[in-house]
Amino acid sequence: MKRTITEIATTRPVLVFWVTALLTLGAAALIPLIHIDTDPENMLAEDQADRMFHNAVEQRFTLHDAIVVGIVNETNPRGIFNAASLSALHELSNSILEIEGVIRPDLMSLAIADNITQGQPGEIRFEWLMKDAPATAAQADYIREAVARLPLLQNTLVSGDGKAAAIYVPIKSKELSYPISREIGALTDSLGGDDAYHVTGLPVAEDTFGVEMFVQMGISAPLAGLMIFLLMWYFFRSWKLIIAPMIVAMATVIITMGVLIGMGFTVHIMSSMIPIFLMPIAVVDSVHIMSEFADRYTAEQGAEATIREVVGHLFTPMLFTSLTSAVGFLSLMLTPIPPVQVFGAFVAGGILLAFLLTIIFIPAYVVRMKPASLASLPRHGEQAEQPASPLARGLRVLGRFAFGHSKLIIFATVVLMAISVAGVLQIQINDNPVRWFKEQHRIRVADRVLNEHFAGTYDAFLVLEHDSESVYDALSADSQTDIAALDATGFDTGEIRAQLAAARSAAALNELISTIDDELFAADDDAAIDALDSLLARVESTQSASRYFQRPDALAVIEQLQTALQESGLVGKSNALPDVVKVVNRELRGGDDANYTIPASVPAVAQTLLQYQSSHRPQDLWHMVTPDFSSTAIWLQLTSGDNQDMSRVIAAVDDYLADNPLPPNVTARWAGKTFINVVWQNAMVEGMVWSLVGAFGAVFVMMATLFRSVRFGLIAMLPLSTTILAVYGLIGWIGKDYDMPIAVLSSLTLGLSVDFAIHFIQRMRTLTQETGSFSAAAVLMFEEPARAISRNAIVIALGFTPLFFAPLVPYITVGAFMASIMAISGSATLLLLPAVLGWALKKENQDEPTTLA
Amino acid sequence: MNRRHSLNRTRLLTSLALLAVAGSVSGAALTDADEIVAQANLASYYPGVDGRAEVRMRIMDAQGREQRRQFTILRRNVAAGGDQNFLVVFSRPSDVRGTVYLVKKHIAREDDRWLYLPGLDLVKRISAGDKRTSFVGADYFYEDVSGRDPAEDKHELIDTTDEYYVLKHVPLDSSSVEFASYVTWIDRNTLLPMKIEYTNGSGNVYRRIEVQQVEAVQGYPTVAKSRVSNLETGGYTDMQFGFVGYDIGLPDDVFTERSLRNPPQQWLERPAQ
Repeated sequence: MKRTITEIATTRPVLVFWVTALLTLGAAALIPLIHIDTDPENMLAEDQADRMFHNAVEQRFTLHDAIVVGIVNETNPRGIFNAASLSALHELSNSILEIEGVIRPDLMSLAIADNITQGQPGEIRFEWLMKDAPATAAQADYIREAVARLPLLQNTLVSGDGKAAAIYVPIKSKELSYPISREIGALTDSLGGDDAYHVTGLPVAEDTFGVEMFVQMGISAPLAGLMIFLLMWYFFRSWKLIIAPMIVAMATVIITMGVLIGMGFTVHIMSSMIPIFLMPIAVVDSVHIMSEFADRYTAEQGAEATIREVVGHLFTPMLFTSLTSAVGFLSLMLTPIPPVQVFGAFVAGGILLAFLLTIIFIPAYVVRMKPASLASLPRHGEQAEQPASPLARGLRVLGRFAFGHSKLIIFATVVLMAISVAGVLQIQINDNPVRWFKEQHRIRVADRVLNEHFAGTYDAFLVLEHDSESVYDALSADSQTDIAALDATGFDTGEIRAQLAAARSAAALNELISTIDDELFAADDDAAIDALDSLLARVESTQSASRYFQRPDALAVIEQLQTALQESGLVGKSNALPDVVKVVNRELRGGDDANYTIPASVPAVAQTLLQYQSSHRPQDLWHMVTPDFSSTAIWLQLTSGDNQDMSRVIAAVDDYLADNPLPPNVTARWAGKTFINVVWQNAMVEGMVWSLVGAFGAVFVMMATLFRSVRFGLIAMLPLSTTILAVYGLIGWIGKDYDMPIAVLSSLTLGLSVDFAIHFIQRMRTLTQETGSFSAAAVLMFEEPARAISRNAIVIALGFTPLFFAPLVPYITVGAFMASIMAISGSATLLLLPAVLGWALKKENQDEPTTLA
Repeated sequence: MNRRHSLNRTRLLTSLALLAVAGSVSGAALTDADEIVAQANLASYYPGVDGRAEVRMRIMDAQGREQRRQFTILRRNVAAGGDQNFLVVFSRPSDVRGTVYLVKKHIAREDDRWLYLPGLDLVKRISAGDKRTSFVGADYFYEDVSGRDPAEDKHELIDTTDEYYVLKHVPLDSSSVEFASYVTWIDRNTLLPMKIEYTNGSGNVYRRIEVQQVEAVQGYPTVAKSRVSNLETGGYTDMQFGFVGYDIGLPDDVFTERSLRNPPQQWLERPAQ
């Protein structure tokens, strides 16, 4: 097959150019369709159970993503509670309400909060907390005192230390986040005073993230291209030689991204890294070909024959290195994280595409070169890396050492691996998308400042649900006596029977009650009226029972859970239905703190809530409980979005519920963005284990097949195994959290380190065969072959360095670890492989083996 | 007869009765905005010397989840177009049964409001910063139920169609209300406002009240069904009036604090048909 491909490439070069150009242009035309996706929820598949529940909960309790505006006053001794700051807050809130795209009814701010207080003696007063901006210190004080008595506002809309206030601005769609936050920014700029403003929140973070992803792709990726170009220039000193690999790299990146976008995949943080991953990998193979071509080319033999010989010679190792690298990335498909899957699949596809382009485009390019240009190609020895260069000399020393001190190297490796295992055991699995921004980024700053003051800007919801099935069952059983009594009076029970059979929801019960009420009015037989009265009472008590979270004992369960959460110290604050009930009850009963309690009966709770609903914001109740009172949400505010912190909260709740089981038919389940992050993080850790195991197995099988030897297959796995262990050991020791970018590094390592091993073993075998002596081969190995391996390691390591200039932390992490991965796997290949080979052969008393098999 | 529709059983007579009402109104169009508003106010809130109605409310949120309320309103005018007394007694849901509001509506000063909560066995006076609060969780406001004093707005007749007087109303004190203005479509025959649209500061209509059915009761055109829609939340509340009666002879002492704990059953019971 390889012959046919090279033949077509060399006989129809113009066709190859046209096809390559058309494919590239066609794919490039798709790139403007790009759709950036920055929603962390998309780390989970759309039908993932926790994500679906989370979305159901958001709808159930009308929860929206919100822009958070923080107003902080550090200078005034009264904190935010001074007339000027509160006036600014008032003005800002009202202006924000006028912005198109803001969900007005759900905006939360002191300026549009309701207050419930004592009026004249015996009087309860309902009013806006801050209808007008306060003009005096006394008025500002009044507001502070009022807020202190409203636990749902305290530490949520105003910080506990009184220095900061927050406005939560829910928006209709994520796309509006940018224009709305810009408008808010303009509003805060126009407000004078000594208040500091912070605009943050998930929509803003996502939006900013998207912009910076574009910056990364628009700047870091081209920079990587430039970097690689300069490195190759340094190594080869020939434009004509390196222009072809650059074209291959560019075409690979453009076609891969074009196809990804054209197939309708969104560009996520992971896929935005595809160009920068593919570029160095793509040039490596073509550098091999160009380099060897330049060495072997003679005018007598001609370009066409030479390139066929070179491709024929390099085809198998290149195919295998490409396949193994592709498998390394394909293994990411085994993680349950869609963006990681897309990343793995397209990097793998890109690698295979680069291989195809290399063996087709490069020969075509070479045969179209002018004889004069061919003649001027740098020969072996003319390249920067001459056999006398420091790199060349160093490698020779390294080779002698590696082959001469097998035991020492193996021992050192074992020690190093032991240390690494200890490091791996210390790895902290943790992530927090806000930390993807740099320390000094305004979103990180806002995050820090607001979480210093408030009970937390990170949300999690513990959702309780009551299953009313048994309540409905009881109704259908108990109502039979009434129906029988009705039947006995000759009453037409058809309609009631039908509705009774369907009475398994709040709406159906409502309908049934209305129907019985109407029938009661129409009935004139005393017995029928009695039976209808009895039935109505039954249905009404069923309705009352199905409104489970209106029961005082149910509220007490929530209250105790809230107390336990607060005492755990893991939660900034929790907000739930008992808080509402207790505040209204206290004020109804005269405002004394002793009455900050849950009333004793269901009617008392229901009537208390009826008063809460008689406010300017009746809809607020439904953020905490459903209108049928069958489900309620405890809103937890956390000061940290770290997965570890959320996991601790989950564990604390699990422990608490183990000791204090929920009542029968009541279940608890988590929702909220902070929880969702934990879910995908856990899924990824587990997925990465399978991904690694799968890739390991696949690569081993390929190695064993390539070398037709299980033993060499195992030896070839050594560099990548030690590298992965060493890199993760390093991560454990330096205390870097294991997060998403760190997780994908393993497949990257696997895919790249194995290349070095393949080249090393393949060349070592060939050289042993050619020279008939292992020792002679060992010396030759550390000439050109070792230089090629080192060169590739350097190209890849430095090719990633532009990531250091990326605006987002995950990119920087990848860039930094890339260099260490290349250093470790390069060393492992050049030290450990010769040491193990030498040791294994000596052990078999083959002091002077003539073959490696 | 389909008994389930007993609340609407007078529907057959409605058109005839409405014709009779229409005939009693002079055919000439009114041109003075204040006069139209004054008459609409009387038609909406003051028919008869007193009245009773049983109200069913269906509060729907944007997701179609409902709450219901059922209560009886007793009303007695102190002066036509002036002060009024209301007693509102809740019967459903059963958990709030027996909850009572007593309102003494005053023109040009704060209403006197009392509340009785049987579950807490508690009588409270209520004072409120404004009248634009939800009525027991519905999309109706307290002011929609008790009536807005015409003197609080500046009225302008912006159109007179074959059916309606179209008026625009701008509040004199915009700080006490959440709207910037509202427009009413007042039926030229019955003088009942058939549609009201509220516009906010951004110029958007965010709230709408529509009368869906009018019936003549004792010669008074009476709203039988209406709906208020909250265009911001996507929710709405349907209100259905039944067992309406006027000039039933409600005594003054019905509207005293005594009725809070002991609602006047005699007047709350449905009248015999």
